[in-house]
Amino acid sequence: MKKILNLVIKELRQVVRDPNMLRVIFVVPMIQLLILGHAITTDIKNLDILICDQDNSAISRSLIEQFSHTDYFIVQQQPCRAGEAERFLFRGETVLALVIPEYFGRDLEARDSPEIQILLDGQNSNTAAVAMGYCNRILLEFMRDRMARDTGRDPRLVRSVRFIEPVSRAWYNPELKSVYYMIPGIISILLTIITMLLTGMAIVKEREIGTLDQLLVTPLSAWQIIAGKTLPFALLGFLEMGFAMTFGVLWFKVPIVGSLPLLAVLAAVFIFTTLGLGIFISTLVDTQQQALFIAWFFLVSFILLSGFFYPIANMPDWVQIITLANPLRYFIEILRELFLKGAGLTVLWPELLSLLAIGLTIFTLATVRFSRRAAA
Amino acid sequence: MINSRFLPLTRKEFIHIRRDPRSVLILLMMPLLMMFIFGYAINMDLKNIRVGVCDLDRTPVSRDLIETVDASSYFDVVRRYDDPRMTEGLFRQRAVRAAVIIPADFSRNLGGAGSAVIGLVTDGTDANSATLAQNYLESLFLSRSLSAGGVGLPVRVKTRIFYNPDMESAHFVVPGIVALLLIMIGALLTSVTIAREKETGTMEQILTSPIRPYEVVLGKALPYLILAFLIAVFIIIFGHLWFKVPMLGSWTWLMVFCLLYLFTALAIGLLISTLVATQQVAMMLSLAATLLPSVMLSGFIFPISSMPRPLQVVSQIIPATHFLKIIRGIMLKGNGPLELWPAVAAMVAVGLFFISLAIWRFQLKLQ
Repeated sequence: MKKILNLVIKELRQVVRDPNMLRVIFVVPMIQLLILGHAITTDIKNLDILICDQDNSAISRSLIEQFSHTDYFIVQQQPCRAGEAERFLFRGETVLALVIPEYFGRDLEARDSPEIQILLDGQNSNTAAVAMGYCNRILLEFMRDRMARDTGRDPRLVRSVRFIEPVSRAWYNPELKSVYYMIPGIISILLTIITMLLTGMAIVKEREIGTLDQLLVTPLSAWQIIAGKTLPFALLGFLEMGFAMTFGVLWFKVPIVGSLPLLAVLAAVFIFTTLGLGIFISTLVDTQQQALFIAWFFLVSFILLSGFFYPIANMPDWVQIITLANPLRYFIEILRELFLKGAGLTVLWPELLSLLAIGLTIFTLATVRFSRRAAA
Repeated sequence: MINSRFLPLTRKEFIHIRRDPRSVLILLMMPLLMMFIFGYAINMDLKNIRVGVCDLDRTPVSRDLIETVDASSYFDVVRRYDDPRMTEGLFRQRAVRAAVIIPADFSRNLGGAGSAVIGLVTDGTDANSATLAQNYLESLFLSRSLSAGGVGLPVRVKTRIFYNPDMESAHFVVPGIVALLLIMIGALLTSVTIAREKETGTMEQILTSPIRPYEVVLGKALPYLILAFLIAVFIIIFGHLWFKVPMLGSWTWLMVFCLLYLFTALAIGLLISTLVATQQVAMMLSLAATLLPSVMLSGFIFPISSMPRPLQVVSQIIPATHFLKIIRGIMLKGNGPLELWPAVAAMVAVGLFFISLAIWRFQLKLQ
């Protein structure tokens, strides 16, 4: 035990001695949290919409009014002739255009069903779909108001128009603040970087400069060396997580409803898996550069396949199966459920079991490979 | 002149690369593998959101409404229950992500003159999905109420979608992945290579030779520029052939702008290398500077216009923001330099800014 402690102290000293390293571990992540935590959302707001009003009547102006009243769009009005709107899209000046035809108001009064055109730049299919949804919705609301007015005048319509009034609530996050969702995600990414990447590179670095061989000829066993190399980064990871969470709570007012001891236990299990991965990567490579590339590959894959940015349910089945081996997927889910809903073990046990399974597998694999390499 | 001195350095760097075929293989294969997986995996549209329905009305009208929700590709009605108090438990168990509660007097109110209230609950832990789900459901009910009476809608709406008419996710993801991978590879490679020279002490040897600082930088950067460019060509062709992302514009211009983009990536890498002494720190800083900012702030996933003002400013100094406009413009729209010059100018300006900062730091260190 004493031997491991000495190794840990040595490793920590090395980290603390390099002020750049300390800054990179503690200051840089806080800056990232500060910038990236801020209201990043897939929802749209203040999107430019170009409205070509070829009618210019009281009715068309009231429709435009309805568009400019929302937070979703900023209305740009352009006098434009038929077919001209497309050019604005091509030049990238707008991604959404609405063309109100000539005689729109007159035809509407005459119940002649005038046609409104929506032109949409589909390059960013996400934003386009959301924008189209809002656009249709505003048009529907406009129609609803027209029909409500018409029912008063025209007895034939009275029985035909029925209105459903949805009353919407979002639980656990009533204002639907995306920061509550982003902070747990960013915390788990930072934790992965520190534990997986730094451990892997630290081991390879020792091998590169030859000090690992020196360690191996000492009476220390392979697992003692591994413990000595990983524990400091586990410690740093914990510190960083506490730091980031305090920041999230104080600055972004992220509520933490669940139990902190449980969170600590689950985080320890997660760190166990990422440290295992770090050691595993170090056994695959010869140089820090190679370690970096492989770790980078894992990191980017973990992040994009975690459900943090893209829902896992949308992925094809074979990709969904791959995501089952992604520890980040479980940890992000754990953080979110625990922070906002206060979920306990009765709910989170499947995540815990999956993390344990991944961790044990990878750690065993890594230790075996490490010892074999050391013996060779 | 210049050539005679920095070319040997470049050659030396090439020898380094050649001697390490494993790294090159890793570098070529990983982006390809990532492009393959992400091209399939990344899809933002909501699909099959698990919905619970509590129908207290139990009339043909309410059943018909539930049918409509279930039939939509966005939603999957997985639970039907009779006690509204069960909703909370279902959310806690993560059995459903949204719930629709139809009150007992729903169909009666619907037949009357006023409007019928319907309850809609979403799980806010995933705020983005919850927002989308809420909007889809509300719109669904709205269009339902208008079309229920059998009279036509007063206005016909015709939507035309340009540049990606099938709203194919891959068409928007593939250019995004290219932008993300290139900036990361470019910045990582450069910063770590120079940090390696510092770590092993060979940097001092190079600097004591009569070679000029900018020649050192050029000599070290050039091989990686070429390597990263090869990767770029490789994955763009792959995206074009495999995912059928159209290529409406000119290949030549795309390649030219790719080079400019890589130049800004290298500039970031160089700047980082002047700030650090070890490969570990170089790697951490490069990741911090490129990974999350390029994913989150570039418009790759999240629309820039929805960000708060200060963040919109920040997004302008991220090279991926401009390159995304360029590569999507060329591939999907067939844009040329005539339409793209503002984005190109901004990207080059960002690159020049970083490179001057790097040179300034480098000279500061030498003195």
